[in-house]
Amino acid sequence: MVSIAPKETTDLNQMEDEAFRLHVRSWIEANYPAELRNPPKRLHWEENKPWYFMLAEKGWLCPGWPRQFGGLGLSPAKQIIFTEEIERHGCARTNDHGIVMVGPLLINHGTPEQQQEFLPKILNGEHIWCQGYSEPNAGSDLAALRTEAVLDGDHYVVNGQKIWTTLAMDANWCFLLVRTDKNAKKQEGISFLLVDMATPGITVKPIINLEYHDEFCEVFFDNVRVPAKNLVGTPNRGWDMAKALLSFERIYLGSPRLSAYAFTRLRQLAERMGAWEDPAFQETYGRLRLDLEDLKSLYGAFVDKLRRGETLGPDVSMLKVFQTELFQRITDTMLDIAGENAGLLEPMEGNRNLNPTGLYIQARPATIYGGSNEIQRNILSKNVLGLPG
Amino acid sequence: MSQALDDRTESIRMIRDSAGAVAPRGGDTKRVRALRFQAPGFDRAVFAEMGALGWIGLAVTEEAGGAGLGMSEAVALAEEIGAGLAPEPLIPAMLSARLLAASEDKALLGPLLEGGKVVLTAWQEKADTLAVPGTPDAPRVFVPMAAGADAFLLPVREGNLISLHVLEAAGADLVLEKTMDGGNLGTLRADLGRATRVADDIGAVIEQALDEAALVTAGHMLGLAEKAFELTLAYLRTRQQFGRIIGTFQALQHRAADLKIHIALIRAAVESAAATLDAGATGAVRQAAVSKAKHRAIESGMLVLRQCIQLHGGIGYTDEYDVGLYLRRGMVIMNQYGSANLHRRRFMALAPEDVE
Repeated sequence: MVSIAPKETTDLNQMEDEAFRLHVRSWIEANYPAELRNPPKRLHWEENKPWYFMLAEKGWLCPGWPRQFGGLGLSPAKQIIFTEEIERHGCARTNDHGIVMVGPLLINHGTPEQQQEFLPKILNGEHIWCQGYSEPNAGSDLAALRTEAVLDGDHYVVNGQKIWTTLAMDANWCFLLVRTDKNAKKQEGISFLLVDMATPGITVKPIINLEYHDEFCEVFFDNVRVPAKNLVGTPNRGWDMAKALLSFERIYLGSPRLSAYAFTRLRQLAERMGAWEDPAFQETYGRLRLDLEDLKSLYGAFVDKLRRGETLGPDVSMLKVFQTELFQRITDTMLDIAGENAGLLEPMEGNRNLNPTGLYIQARPATIYGGSNEIQRNILSKNVLGLPG
Repeated sequence: MSQALDDRTESIRMIRDSAGAVAPRGGDTKRVRALRFQAPGFDRAVFAEMGALGWIGLAVTEEAGGAGLGMSEAVALAEEIGAGLAPEPLIPAMLSARLLAASEDKALLGPLLEGGKVVLTAWQEKADTLAVPGTPDAPRVFVPMAAGADAFLLPVREGNLISLHVLEAAGADLVLEKTMDGGNLGTLRADLGRATRVADDIGAVIEQALDEAALVTAGHMLGLAEKAFELTLAYLRTRQQFGRIIGTFQALQHRAADLKIHIALIRAAVESAAATLDAGATGAVRQAAVSKAKHRAIESGMLVLRQCIQLHGGIGYTDEYDVGLYLRRGMVIMNQYGSANLHRRRFMALAPEDVE
């Protein structure tokens, strides 16, 4: 039985919710680096690692992991409060794939050896993970992935290419979906491999995106030898584990935080541009505000399910669709009122709170990543509504 | 068909053909990409070529040295320029040419029409306006591609008149900001002490020339939307997922059909407004036609550009793939010469409905 001592010795679940909220808030306010609040772009590891190590040091890096694996072991209700406080303060997203994906994967499906080897290194910041899922011809149709792993003695030999690998240049490990059986039905020949990015044969190539930022990468695998013991779970059964991890992503992407953040900036922009007093703007603003309020209510309903310990069904796709499209509509409205500032590369007047074009561009891929909204609507129509086809 | 209409169709065709030399539709974007974020953001040789082709003086009368053509030709040209993403400040230069042609001192007009000198009009005192400045020494904002200007034109309100002054760019107090498409916008101190007066009153001309610039910008947006949509259709016809060409999915087919409707609306609004102006419309009729076209171009054009990214999926969000270049240019031009809100308001104020 694996046992990793948690750094945080207090069981925070014992605190009253409000006391816990204030406890988290005051610690963040006292410790979070001011210059990293509400960063205009996704930060690289070099930039966000002070915050990562601060959380690691405090023992708060992995709020959802059980205490026996070194996490905080927070109840779902407490985790939600924790996340709300992080978002409220505008804390940067860390290189969190190890925390939110690999940790839960290994805790649920890993061998004790894998847990013992990898979990402590996530907790101390030694291993930074990236996610090798999408491929050039397997995006929306992820199960069509073709990167293959062939067993050769006690190693798998991996060949293929991944794309949209977030912050792969910062990562030293990758959790990879590979095809291990080419003859099976496409969902039934996929396995999970844990790959050291320093292995010979791996090439990482950053992709510049519309923000002129290198958040995503292509990763090429050329005869990369991966120890067979780094396969997680059962061979050819990786797809179900991958899908379970993606449902977590959908509630994360359905959180109102991006829309709420953009909405506060919309008001600041409207005041600056003199649109605030315009009744036509107030009409639009009112609609967006009500959409945001109702998104918060819908999100709350899903969160309540988690709080009760229920697992979320495919209907969580509703949140992702509505949130991401609201985020876009808010930023569309920003450009409408920004006048010629709608063309600027940088924030207006050197004020990062007046950044209509940055937010507008950031809002574009939200309807594409994490399962495009077209795919989410397929899920809703087939798996929730039960429509044929 | 009448002779006059035949002539017009022919001159529009010739303009479109000649545009291919400078802004090849469907040509590679290497030139456009190489100029991004490199001062001045465009190629002076190409600007000179535009002058040699008669584009800068397209709407200037023949007796003043222009081509004496109309808005129908101008919007067709702007459409080609948009489709080819040419970054040269043609629309601002056309505006300057109209003002200089109406001035008493025309010394700069010839060099501008030839494309030898880049003359930009610094007319704006605030964002999102079509009104000429009231304050003589107010800083002039949002001057497109100001990094490459040789001279600026400063319109100044003097009572009921609007005088025009030339300020040499050398030594001017100019602050530059980068734009999304790799160009720049300038904020200029209106240093009238260093400027030369060239006209006593261009009031009537500037109002009309700004309307023309708004309409031609709508034509530019049409070209962006058309070309981005063309790239998107090609992608829908070739990209495969789930073992099928994605263009066979009905949800995407319907979305593409909707975008086609929006593009047709832009074209109809822009071309009918151009015809209205070419027929000699003035006052409220001219302004209403322009506002209708610019409003439609922004609303439908930006919708098309956004959806073109979405229909491409992840690849549409990369800098390497061309479709994003159209969205970025769209962001830069959408609110130049008036936002959709401004034009919607102006249209409602100018065009009373026939109520039975």
